[in-house]
This record gives sequence, C-alpha cells and structure tokens, in this order.
Amino acid sequence: MNLVPHDSPAQRVPVEERLFSLVLALLATENGLTKTEILSTVQGYRQAFKRSGDNANLERKFERDKDDIRELGVPLETVQAPGDPGNNQNLRYRIPRGAYELPTDISFSAEETTLLNLAAMVWREGSLSAESRRALLKLRSLGVTADEPVIGYAPRLRVRDAAFEPLSAALDRGAYVRFAYLKPGEAEARVRTVAPLALVQHQGRWHVYAEERDTGVPKTFLLRRIIGAVVATGETFEAPEGDASARALRELEEVWNGNTAVVEVEPGSDAATRLNKRRGTAVAASADADHHLLELHYSDANIFADELAGFGPEVLVHSPDSLRDAVRSRLETTAADHG
Amino acid sequence: MQAQDKLTFLLSLVPYLIERDRVSVTEVATHFGVRPEQIRDAVRLIAVSGVPGETTTYQSEDLFDIAWDDFEQNDQIVLTNQVAIDDSPRFSAREASALIAGLQYLSSLPENADRAAIASLTSKLSQGASAMPSPVAVEDSETDATLALIRESVSSGVQLQFDYLSSRGDGEQRRVDPLRVESVDADWYLRGWCHLREAVRTFRLDRMSNPVVTTEPISHNAADVTLPDTLFEPSADDLVVTIDIAAAAEGLLADYIPDGAQRSEHDGRVRTSVRVSHYHGLKRLLASMPGVATVVGPPEARAAVAEWAAAGAARYRS
Repeated sequence: MNLVPHDSPAQRVPVEERLFSLVLALLATENGLTKTEILSTVQGYRQAFKRSGDNANLERKFERDKDDIRELGVPLETVQAPGDPGNNQNLRYRIPRGAYELPTDISFSAEETTLLNLAAMVWREGSLSAESRRALLKLRSLGVTADEPVIGYAPRLRVRDAAFEPLSAALDRGAYVRFAYLKPGEAEARVRTVAPLALVQHQGRWHVYAEERDTGVPKTFLLRRIIGAVVATGETFEAPEGDASARALRELEEVWNGNTAVVEVEPGSDAATRLNKRRGTAVAASADADHHLLELHYSDANIFADELAGFGPEVLVHSPDSLRDAVRSRLETTAADHG
Repeated sequence: MQAQDKLTFLLSLVPYLIERDRVSVTEVATHFGVRPEQIRDAVRLIAVSGVPGETTTYQSEDLFDIAWDDFEQNDQIVLTNQVAIDDSPRFSAREASALIAGLQYLSSLPENADRAAIASLTSKLSQGASAMPSPVAVEDSETDATLALIRESVSSGVQLQFDYLSSRGDGEQRRVDPLRVESVDADWYLRGWCHLREAVRTFRLDRMSNPVVTTEPISHNAADVTLPDTLFEPSADDLVVTIDIAAAAEGLLADYIPDGAQRSEHDGRVRTSVRVSHYHGLKRLLASMPGVATVVGPPEARAAVAEWAAAGAARYRS
C-alpha cells in the first residue's frame, strides 16, 4: 500500500510536514532549487501555489521556514546562479549533505550519553531548554542507550537574569547591543554600547564579556547590574579569533585571586561551616585557638559584602578595611530599617 | 511539541529507523522517551513523505515507505524505501554550546572526574555542530569530595553519616540513605532518608561536615521513595511574612513567594508575602539584602531581623 500525498488545496498540510518536505527536497538536490521550483513543487507549498498570480504570502512563509530550519543547525545555503549573479529570482537553495550530517567518525559511548543526558537536564528550566531538548533528540538518533546512573541527579541552572536571553541571541548573530549598566557606587545607570563576545558563569553569577564600541576595550559586565532592556542596535560585528569565553573566565579568576579578605567566624556557626566550604578558603596565618580566622577570595566587593552581612554576628571582617566598612554599614542599614 | 521540535524529531527518527531492519513502536518510544502514539504519528507522516523527484509529482519511488501490514497489525516498523536522508543531523551551534556549558556546570560530579574524557567529549560536540558553538561557558570546578562519598555510599548500599547544621543553627549527627542529588545554580543538595528523623529530608551540601561512608546497610532506596518534584515543600506550619522589596529584586525571593500571594506595587517597591519555616532563615536572607527588602510584619519577624543585624553591627564597635 502506498499513500499519495494529499493534493487538494483544501486539505491543510501540517507545518512539520511542510518543513520536513522542504529539508528532504533540499537535501536531495545537487544544484539547488529556485524559489519558484520550491513553491510550486514541494509538499505544503505547492497546494497554495498560484501559477499565474501573486504568491507573496507563500514567499513570506518560505522566508520564515528558512529561518526556522537554520535555527535547528540545518545548513540551508543559497547559491548564486553562475551566469546571472545578483538576480534574486535565480538564487538556488540547497542543503549540502556533508555539512548537514553528523560526521561518521563521531560517536558517543553509553557512558558519554549518560553525561550528555545530565548536561541537557541542567537547562530544563533555563533559557537554553529548547536547544538541549533538541540536542537530546539528535543524540537519541544515534541509537545509543545511556547507562543506568548510580545515583539520580537533578541538576538545574536557572538563569534569572532577563538580560541573558537577548545577549545570547546577540552573541550568535554578532549584533551590537545597548543596555543601561549600574556600576556600584554610581548614582545612575550609564548606557553602554558593546559587542558581546561571551557569556560566562563565574561563582554562580552570569557575566557578559564585551567590547565597548567606542573604545574597543573588552570589559566584563555582571548581568544582574544591567537595568532594563538589552536592545540590538542593528549593527553587526565580526567575532574576533580566539576563545573569548576562556579569556573571560581567566580574567574573572585573576580578579577573584587578587581579592583576599580575612574574616573571623564564630566556631560551629553556619558561617564557619559554609565559608569553610567555599572554594579557595584557607585558615589565615594569624588564626589561633581563640580566633577562627579564614582567608577568603571574592570577585565583587559589593556582592561579597551582602553575602557576609547575611551571617550577622557570626562573621567579623578584619580586612580589607573597605570590606569591613561595607559589611558594617549594611548591617546598620538593616537594623535601622527594621527598628 | 512545537513545529521545530517535531521536525527535529522526524530528522532524528529516520536515521534511527534506517539503522534497524525491524523495531517495535514501544521500543522506539522508550528510547526516545515519548508516547507510543507520537511514534505512530511520526511514522505515518514519514511513510507518505519524500521528494518531488524528476517528475516533481512525488511518485512512489520518491517517497519513504514502510511495511504497512507489520505496522498496522504488529506495531512493528520496517522501512522498505528511504529517500534523501542517511545519517543523523549535526547539532546546531547553540545546541552544542548548551551541552558543553551543561558539562562544565557538572564538573564537580565524580562522574566527570576524568577531565581528559570530558575534553574529548567537548571536542566531539564542537566537531558535530554545524557551526562554532556559541561562547557560553561555566567556570570549571574541582570534583566535590562529598559528592564522591555520596556516590560511593549508594553504590555500596550503605548509609552516609555526617554532621549537619540546620538553618535554625542546631548541629546534629545524621545517618542518611542518599536518594538523589539536586542543584539550583551554585547550591547543591542531597535528598535522602534520614534515620534520625525517620523521614525524607533535604540537606545542603555546604552545611554538611565530616561525611563518612558507614558499613550500615540502607533501608530505603530511590526506587521505593517518591520524592516531590520541588526542592522546598510548603508546610502547614510555615510562617507568612509581609515584605517590601525593590521591584527589580523581586525575582531573588521568587522561591519564597507562595502562589497567589497578594501583591501591590508602589514607587518601584513591591509589597507581597513570603513563606518561611522559621525566622532563623528569614533574618539571614533579609540581612543579605540590605536596603533592598524590608519586613513589614508581623512584629516578631521585624524584631528577629533587627536583632540579628544589630548584633552583627555591634561586633564592629567593640
């Protein structure tokens, strides 16, 4: 038995059938198909194609479909007609097989599949959840069954910063963006125009590493200090060579290493337990039996002061003075606000 | 599923079926983690799809085909004709970067301790992507010693013992049958059967000290215990506290604001309520948000925060 695709224009072809048929048609063609060929022959378009008439709606649908397909990582390319460059009507579309298919030498073991399942789970609520869901489908396509994990994990990265989504889109498109940024100690947010190069998470906080358009100097901005919307300016840039995210993390790490605080913690308190477990914590050289002094690293004095203030009387900051003052004034503010 | 997900599913299902001469609908459904009906719908669509072909009219040789009797009578899938597709699709740049950043986030897991293996996995994801993965990265962390002990205790079927300081400030030794490890951003939790409380409890990893794998066998494992989906369970004993918070910071307290809480906004400040199990947690939380959030009532809650902050400030005057 063989079913012939529905021919009646009255019958609606589901979107996924149209997209699937478009991918199949463009994979099957060596030389590419023109837009007219696609609209008049491919399932889902041909039903609505008018031989002599206006196909503007259908053309718009095709434009949207192309974007949707490319977003999935399908390399839908356009080829100029050899004798007639610049003529849009003669542009040809195709999907080159080599760029579409996963290279045959890439395979994943059961153990690797287990790890990738977990990696995808990390984003189940986050802004990359659609991407990780689709990545898993493609992974399953390879037919490998994951190992049964020893213990169940439910990891979760929730990106709370509204700026993450527009910045990550701008990153992929190489688009300049504009946002208002409130630097601690400054009374008002200042508008920055930057080329975003990387989004990195350091010590649980998201940062964007970006080059300021006017100075060309790369800087790191904390997403939670971005006020209001991130707007694309409409200009684009060419991403520079090199691993921007590694560079961004290296710079953040240097800042973190360079900032050292000495704090005294109440033995047996929540502060003692948790600050001891913080990455990079050491017992300070000046500690003795009566004074539990810890040496801690931090990247941002204002955020670290908030964190330390939460421990109330369990923590006494010894140095630096600026951090000591910051924690003290925070505690005084809270006491006054609740007095 | 959205149309893009459905398309990805179709493009992933076809190569999987090509690799198998015959496979049951239930097996495919289990492998892809979807309902059997979704597999049947997809197979019905694939079986009538194809390319326009030389005639541009979708002749039967230009279409996929299946053994219909096997499909309709035995729920088995046998592809009898294939067109256009041979292999699985590449990952998109964003898909690859989501997986890579996810692996980096999980770098403290004992499963990820073999850094060379993780590096090779990351490079395979990059090579398997249709474009350079987007530069989204998470700081690398060392393998967590406590997580390694949790794993060891589960694989040997014995209880884990540790000192635990509750958020009320009480320290006790606990013995626990580990059930699941969860995380939210930078915070990691163990959920397990607590032999002291004889109930399922959630423990913050950074409040655990001196963890030891015991020789005492576990009495509960993950298969017998249904864990609630949410990490923080509301309880009838919870205290409700009214707060004022800067509108921009409201998200920071989202976990504590109960569904359907009253909310009003005035001059950039939001008045709403949060639910806490006791004031010990509340005072710590509020003291870490100076000038951003204030307790309006009840008076005991205000007093708890005021005392906590005043005691902290007093240490700087001596």
